[in-house]
Amino acid sequence: MSLLDKFAEAAVKRDQLLELGTNPTQVRMERMIDATTAVVDGKPTILAGTNNYLGLTFEPECIEAGQRALAESGTGTTGSRVANGNYAGHELLEQEIAEFYGYPHAMLFSTGYGANLGTIAALVGPGDAVLLDADAHASLYDGCKLSGADVFRFKHSDPESLDKRLRRLGDRARTALVAIEGLYSILGDYPDLSEFCDVCEKYGAMLLVDEAHSLGTMGEHGRGLSEQNGVLDRVDFIVGTFSKSLGATGGYCVSRHEELALFRYSSRPFIFTASPCPSVVASTRAALKLLRAQPERREKLWQSASKLYNGLKALGLTLGPQASPVVAVRCDSPEYALTVWHRLLAEGVYTNLIIPPASPDGSSLIRCSLSAAHSDEQVTAIIKAVERATAGQNTA
Amino acid sequence: MSDIAAVLKTILQGFLSDKQTTIDETTPINSLGLESVVVLEFVTDVEDHYDINIDLDSLANIQTLRDLAEAVKEQGVD
Repeated sequence: MSLLDKFAEAAVKRDQLLELGTNPTQVRMERMIDATTAVVDGKPTILAGTNNYLGLTFEPECIEAGQRALAESGTGTTGSRVANGNYAGHELLEQEIAEFYGYPHAMLFSTGYGANLGTIAALVGPGDAVLLDADAHASLYDGCKLSGADVFRFKHSDPESLDKRLRRLGDRARTALVAIEGLYSILGDYPDLSEFCDVCEKYGAMLLVDEAHSLGTMGEHGRGLSEQNGVLDRVDFIVGTFSKSLGATGGYCVSRHEELALFRYSSRPFIFTASPCPSVVASTRAALKLLRAQPERREKLWQSASKLYNGLKALGLTLGPQASPVVAVRCDSPEYALTVWHRLLAEGVYTNLIIPPASPDGSSLIRCSLSAAHSDEQVTAIIKAVERATAGQNTA
Repeated sequence: MSDIAAVLKTILQGFLSDKQTTIDETTPINSLGLESVVVLEFVTDVEDHYDINIDLDSLANIQTLRDLAEAVKEQGVD
């Protein structure tokens, strides 16, 4: 008996995947051609499974800003913000993010995952209660685990289910945290945040919204679902990432509460992680400027999203509940989903395979995501490839 | 089988594709072929049936309907 014995089962599963060809969890992009195309297995492949929503990864302003920062400030900071890694760029990006939301403070983290860990672990602790949406991202669950708080799960995007659980908490509800997402990354659905604000305000609980997939993609100015639903003055904390719409890495938390400025003294993921490297900070700042200056990218993204959603729906496929930059095709078994995924890759379209236990409702899915950089021709090609890959099969 | 366990069994059977599956208080819930997300949906329905909250840490120690019935009783349900 060894600590490593448990990996035998993982090895069997990996070998089963390899027998079928390319391992869906290890697709190698041999060379990036542009924001929506890469060479995979030696041939150009349309990327319909990234989170490059605004298509900014190859934007000259972002690349130039990153290159300049590399030359001027070096490759890395070699330390945490609280020790030896607090550069001017970090503070400027924090100011710019806070100003973008109209909030007093922002706090940077080295990853989006770390942003959720660092925010939740600073905010709640043993004896506190966190209420989590059933489909919440792993980083929200892990933040709760790190905090030591009691965690209660409510039905996905169901304010009534949340209401029941807050009511049952009695007085504890007044110090409870509710954590939900803006755009959910697997099915591409999104809740009405005003309903969640109503419930939280009824009990005095605080609301944290993870806008990882909705920054840049939703709201008149790209501030996310909180802006789109008109609740920026009611949400307590917004967490997001630079690794999707802004094409870099890193994460942030913003808040209308002044106390956020004090989180940096108690947030272990913030204190004990090396700060984002200068080139990443610089390209993120450039990308944020473009996000604000070019709303047409968001418009193009949603045009493509509608085209893909309606195109796939017209094929008779069962999709997620709402048209959005994430379009999920339901398959009737993991095996069939794997087959469709392989066929799509062979057709030159890269998507994401989502099978249990990773799927939110136990179903098997092909997840497609769009970018403002996708051309109309590419979106048409994705629809045609899905049509061929699912031909003659019932995927409902 | 206790009264609570009997109610839990009825709720659980609603999630099984084979309604004839034999379940008793000591049947390991993870032996029923349910996806983990479905087990959590079952627990959510149990919470709503009894109007209680069960925290996720407590769930980690629940293997059988008897364990879950104990967790329900700890919330003050007779």
